[in-house]
Amino acid sequence: MDHSTLVFASVFPVLSLSHTTPTPVATPILGYAAPGSSFGSPYAGRNADEHGQGQHRALKRGQAWSCATRFLSLPKDTAILPRLHRTRDVEDALCYLLVGEGKSEDGREESLVEWYTNECRLHFASHVRPGLEQLWSGEVQLQHSWDILEETQRGLEQVQGVYLEPFNEHILPFLQQTISASTIRPSKPSQIARADPSDAASWKFRRDIHAIFAHCLPAQRFSKTLSYVLYDAGCRLYWIYIRQDGVQPPSTPEGNTEIRKRMTTLLIGLERVGLGGDNAQKAFAHAMNKLVDSYITSHYLKVDWFTKESMVPPLRNWIENGFCPLVELVLACLRCEQSNVLPTEVTSWQEMALNRLGRARVDNLFDFVMNWDKSLGAVLDIKEYLKAAGAKQHLTSSFSQQVSRRLLHPGATTTYILNVYISIIRSFHVLEPKGVLLERVARPIRRYLKEREDTARIIIASLLTDLSDDTGSKFSANSELSYEIACEMAKPFANYGQDMDEELNWSDMNWQPLPTDASPDYKKSKVEDVIWFLLTLWEREDFINELKNIYGDHLLRCQDPEYEKEIRLLELIKVRLGDDKLQACEVMLRDVLDSKRINASIRAANATPASVLQTPDTRNRNPATPEIRQPRTPRPRRPAQPPPQHALPSWSTPGPPEPQLNAQILSSFFWPSLRDDTFLVPSQISTLQKDYESRFERIKGMRKLRWMNALGSGSITLEFDDRKEDFDALTPWQVSVVYAFQPQAGEEHIAKKKGKGGEGIARNVQQLEEMLEMDESLVRQALAFWTGKSVLREISPSTYTVIESLPRKSSQAAADEDAAAAAEELAAVQAAQTSTIKTQADQLNEKKDIYVAFIMGMLTNQGNMPCTRIAMMMRMMVQGGFPFGVEEVKGLLGEMEGEGKVVGLGGDVWAVKK
Amino acid sequence: MALSNGRGNNSNTTVAARLQKELMDLMLHPTPGISAFPSDENMSTWTATIDGPSSTPYESLILKLSLDFPANYPYAPPVVQFKTPIYHPNVDFSGRICLDILKDKWSAVYNIGTVLLSLQSLLGEPNNASPLNGQAAELWDKDPAEYKRLVLARHKTPEELDA
Repeated sequence: MDHSTLVFASVFPVLSLSHTTPTPVATPILGYAAPGSSFGSPYAGRNADEHGQGQHRALKRGQAWSCATRFLSLPKDTAILPRLHRTRDVEDALCYLLVGEGKSEDGREESLVEWYTNECRLHFASHVRPGLEQLWSGEVQLQHSWDILEETQRGLEQVQGVYLEPFNEHILPFLQQTISASTIRPSKPSQIARADPSDAASWKFRRDIHAIFAHCLPAQRFSKTLSYVLYDAGCRLYWIYIRQDGVQPPSTPEGNTEIRKRMTTLLIGLERVGLGGDNAQKAFAHAMNKLVDSYITSHYLKVDWFTKESMVPPLRNWIENGFCPLVELVLACLRCEQSNVLPTEVTSWQEMALNRLGRARVDNLFDFVMNWDKSLGAVLDIKEYLKAAGAKQHLTSSFSQQVSRRLLHPGATTTYILNVYISIIRSFHVLEPKGVLLERVARPIRRYLKEREDTARIIIASLLTDLSDDTGSKFSANSELSYEIACEMAKPFANYGQDMDEELNWSDMNWQPLPTDASPDYKKSKVEDVIWFLLTLWEREDFINELKNIYGDHLLRCQDPEYEKEIRLLELIKVRLGDDKLQACEVMLRDVLDSKRINASIRAANATPASVLQTPDTRNRNPATPEIRQPRTPRPRRPAQPPPQHALPSWSTPGPPEPQLNAQILSSFFWPSLRDDTFLVPSQISTLQKDYESRFERIKGMRKLRWMNALGSGSITLEFDDRKEDFDALTPWQVSVVYAFQPQAGEEHIAKKKGKGGEGIARNVQQLEEMLEMDESLVRQALAFWTGKSVLREISPSTYTVIESLPRKSSQAAADEDAAAAAEELAAVQAAQTSTIKTQADQLNEKKDIYVAFIMGMLTNQGNMPCTRIAMMMRMMVQGGFPFGVEEVKGLLGEMEGEGKVVGLGGDVWAVKK
Repeated sequence: MALSNGRGNNSNTTVAARLQKELMDLMLHPTPGISAFPSDENMSTWTATIDGPSSTPYESLILKLSLDFPANYPYAPPVVQFKTPIYHPNVDFSGRICLDILKDKWSAVYNIGTVLLSLQSLLGEPNNASPLNGQAAELWDKDPAEYKRLVLARHKTPEELDA
């Protein structure tokens, strides 16, 4: 032993140094030992020094001590527990040391009980602890945790038995004899003070032993293991199959009673060896926490898609009747002070569980919205959850996040977003009927929808769609129509008091204050009315303007002579938006209805029809697609004329002899501006038009007709040498172009001598442009269309001829077919381009003057500028937007340089030419 | 066909809208000898260019001005200053202009074009009764040759200004 150990031991007695081993039996009892020498308690001698007559007592005590300790020493092998019988000597010694004169005074001498405790401690340290430490030395594997705990518990219990037996047998009885004398100060006076001193001693001894036990186990690891074991037991008891530990449940379920028994046995055992108590309770709490989580994840997160019922009542029931009994059982096993679960605790646990369920649900709320209304059950769960504090904020932020991540990105089509928005409206109406939450989560969606260009068009187009007809094809995935909106529109609706100020309606007995958490611009809304939400995306006037455009388009395209659907839709919209605003739409509707009547009366008056050609029967509804006579966005040709009425011609010729013309007469003041390309129509048609015009003026007094040739549609029959073909729904310019291949006056001889490929008259693009006064782009488009139909063939670049008889020779036929296929494709593409408004190049040319003025102003005032900056400034400054890029600006600058207005300084910098 | 959301009720957007419209008017109907263009995105500052009117001392000179529009335009006049150094009875040496329609006679019916036209005519017909530059007012009548010399001496072309 080195010096420092000795110094330390003199201040803090070290067990192994101060603990006396029993005196060997053979050792002679010496009469007087030197003070402080061995054979006695190390403290005994020092004591004795002070009192002269203490010498004798010390000697006697030493003898007794030796005898008693020898008797009480623990065997090395705890397995064999020798049954000791007290001899007379031992009894005397014990009696003397424990209750007689030899008992320690004021704790200055070591008492026998303390010695025995120490003896146990040392025994434990040398014989039991190594084994336990080895058991607990490594990470405890999950599947072994039960075994390890049980083994530990068994071992400790056995050792405890070994230690307790001598104590109970040989020490306690003496202590019990003297009730009055109490030498042991209990550490917890309040608890033990009035109890029997022997009980106190026993209690203290046990406590010490338990402390030793507990101390030798790694506390953290032990409580984790215990916690896991409890969790495992819980999982098995409740058949939880999605566990946090990833352990798969056994395929054959074990008996509940077995698990329960195993668990209670273990817990009671642990409690017996002192491993219960606070730590175990903590571990238990931990396990229960996890258990609730797992249970919710595994059982209640499943959405009941069929019965659509909320999971909350079963959850509450489980907490009360499933979970609480387990808790009570465990608490009883751990001998807690209070093993009953109070009703308030049950309630708070239910709330807790509900919160967890709610949070887990909210994380998937977007999916529930998408699957509305099969997900009603889940939404009802969330509704319960919303009662919790902070739940609304959590829901708002979580859902907004989900929406921005999954919905508001360029990949989602507007139709899709609209449909989801409708689902959101519906599901949030169930979630919170007041609509405050809806308003909050919908704000970003509404903002986003407003930014999308096609939103208004899709909404209105969907509103105008009739569900009953050919539904399947229209609402395909990429469709621009929203089935949901159409459904909503078809629903019967309550009458709207929307415009009435409800706050001022004093006699409203159902009045309720606004929700406290509503934002200032919260409006009390009929939350469930989806259409209302969509219509309020914009200011009403803007919306109606848009509606007007689309409705007009719709009317012109409509094939139903009675316009039943259109009338109904207009009525529906009037109810929603108020009839005062929809005057224009009404006029539009009346126009098309009147046109029908006028057509009829004019035709009746027109007994003698005109022409002979196989040409067209062009029915002029001004659809957006065909652009012969009445384009979608025509500009009035004579804006100054006071009663502007546009007539949309439509020809229908039942037979070859006589083309027929039906017109749509539109009041230009009320209609949105329509497309108006000018070109010449076939002469018979223009004759008809003039005829019609004069009759119309006769009927309608002073009104003038202006024909819009780019809108409208026609049907024609073409007769070739070898065949006859009918074409419907042609655009007027297609009709005009193919008609231009009719032999003109003085060309009949050409027509007679056919080309060798069965070709008729050939014309090139330029000729056609001149003949028809038509834009080149339209001419080319029509030519491509007819080539695609195998009516025309391109014999040399830009020159076309009629295929009067289809070739027999296969090579020529194949070539024609190829050309036809290619041309058809081209025609389709071109049609798609032109049928919208104008191409970008058209726009650029049209507004070139303004753009030039802008560039001049910019360069004059701001000095020289690089091209990119000019483009940027144009985008910012030009009213109505500047949809072009740097390339177009460069082109413009190049043109302006050619005109001597600007000069390039190199490096893309431009300046005004002086 | 995005619909405007129609929430432009604060003054800045009104001013911007008005200026946007004026810009469009100027671009659609340009007046020879007069030109103006915003300097930056928010449109509150413009740069204008006027050509000196013929048969005046300022003939064939190019003069730059800055226009600064207040938030309550057009109910208050823009602040107009000559950027090009100019020798003129009603303009001081830092370019500030004394013109009644830019002060108390302002009216909301004026616009950029009319202001610039007024300034252009002011060059040929200075108001010598209340000069900012007394010497110029005096010389205008007494010694046109000397006046012209001083005008040219003080003038700088836009290129010189930039340099």
